[in-house]
Amino acid sequence: MSNQRDKLSRLIKTTRIMKWLLCFLSPSFIVFAEHNHQAMMKPVIDNSCEQINIACAKTVTSAFSPKGELWRLWSYKSHLYYEISIDEGKSFSSKQRVAIPAEKISSRNENRPKIAFDKFDGVYLSWATPKNKKYTADVRFSYSVDHGKTFTLPITVNNDNLLTGHSFNELLVKDNGEINIVWLDARHSYQLRKAGKKSNGSALYFAEANFRAGQYVFTNEKLVTGTCVCCRIAMDYNADGSLAILWRHIYGDNIREFALLTLKELTLKKSALKVESNQQESPYQISHDHWKINGCPHQGGGISIDENNIYHMVWFNQGDKGKGIFYASSKDQGKTLTKPLSVGQQSAQASHPHIHKNGAAVDIVWTEFNGIEHQLWHQRSKDHGKSFEAAKMLATAKDGADRPFIISYKNKSYVSWHKVKTEHWLAEL
Amino acid sequence: MKLKNLSLIIITLLFSNFTKAGYQPFSNDVFAQVKKQNQGNNWLMVLWSVDCPACFEELALIQQLRQINKDMRIVIINADDDEEVAAERAKILTKYQLNDLTNMFFNEGQGAKNRYQIDPNWFGELPRSYFINDQGTFYGKSGLLKKKQITQWLGLN
Repeated sequence: MSNQRDKLSRLIKTTRIMKWLLCFLSPSFIVFAEHNHQAMMKPVIDNSCEQINIACAKTVTSAFSPKGELWRLWSYKSHLYYEISIDEGKSFSSKQRVAIPAEKISSRNENRPKIAFDKFDGVYLSWATPKNKKYTADVRFSYSVDHGKTFTLPITVNNDNLLTGHSFNELLVKDNGEINIVWLDARHSYQLRKAGKKSNGSALYFAEANFRAGQYVFTNEKLVTGTCVCCRIAMDYNADGSLAILWRHIYGDNIREFALLTLKELTLKKSALKVESNQQESPYQISHDHWKINGCPHQGGGISIDENNIYHMVWFNQGDKGKGIFYASSKDQGKTLTKPLSVGQQSAQASHPHIHKNGAAVDIVWTEFNGIEHQLWHQRSKDHGKSFEAAKMLATAKDGADRPFIISYKNKSYVSWHKVKTEHWLAEL
Repeated sequence: MKLKNLSLIIITLLFSNFTKAGYQPFSNDVFAQVKKQNQGNNWLMVLWSVDCPACFEELALIQQLRQINKDMRIVIINADDDEEVAAERAKILTKYQLNDLTNMFFNEGQGAKNRYQIDPNWFGELPRSYFINDQGTFYGKSGLLKKKQITQWLGLN
């Protein structure tokens, strides 16, 4: 493993030297700077953004590997690209294309590719690929056993073989290589429509596999039906290692509220590849803001669970009983909640919250917009979410902004915010 | 040069249906013009996205109503601030026969700004509609509209 780290370090050094040499040799220095702005002190903005450059991506996904390497992933014209940093984002290796055949990749707003790792240099990717018919897509998966040098041919995770919706996938991988994927799946509504019946919403599906353990086929388990169709899902492992999933659900007559389900450890029967589950019987309703909308909120929530098994959650609603971003925690897996705390300024368009715990610290980030610029805001609790310090503005962006996400390595947390057409911005919180 | 001119002619012909009806990027100036054109009347402004299934139901409802009501004061705005969807949104407007209405679209990467110009209290949920009265007062509503809400506001059959 140290060999690979050394190789990566050499690659980054070589990349840096090449960049400087090219800077002096190239007559088109400005063009070079546009393509490689991460290496420069000041990003050069290219308004056309018809490039592979990460700045031109609509979304960026970043994550730390168990060894502390920071990977950032984006898509461009049916391919995935990544860069790696071994110095917490100060510098990155040259970009690499994920060596798999080209296919469309959903990468906009709530939909984006995902990356995760095991502790054996395994790299795991999942994304949604849209099909030709509107609102149809498949959840896809590819795995690298060798730190990204090669990737397996992508496979489809959803096993229904139907031309219908499967997207908004989320991916988590345990150190031992156990892969958990959840997504919004329209097979249930597809079948109802085919039978001439009405349906509302999608279904939440769960899949599990472990390529390291020889389980190459993803299980498919329906967890609930009646979910909102266009908000990202959030999930985290709790203190027992069980998966907790937070999503926007449809209650009653199009009341869109957040719901939470904790899966108990699932037993994968290798012989029959059947899943036995003993999960919580029905989801807990988390928000009670009464947002009635027959449409798309395009705003998912966030969840992060600490070592004391306290669930920390954030969400956004515009209901007649609650408007804006809210934070609440639960000591009993969502059965009861603390009183929701309002976060950010509703009048400043506070939205798209994300949350992450790190020891006693609970960090929340979100964006605001004042008519001219996007602002990235942060609020921290140092006492497990009991109280929060005053909110601070961290950064601004003028030419568009992606959703912010918090990632961590050991005791440090970082916010990852893609300023579209400008730069992928990362800072320690 | 000849090839460039030819390309321009082809593009102009392709989008001639849109340009006639005012298929253009959203801006404060264009928005002001549209408001002026509809001054003194009840009118409706509908915002939609290619990523919003309920929006398609709303566009289909408008298409259906237009078959029996030729003069509907409706303005359509595509809220996707992504030029990658340009071809798709054009196809959808053609499918629902809405090209001859006033159509606008949000500018690349300027979705939040354009949204704010219309209504600082709108967070991007879709479909989003504005009922504007003869005094020019805007009433916003999120979610799919019902047929009756449209017909009553516009005084249609």
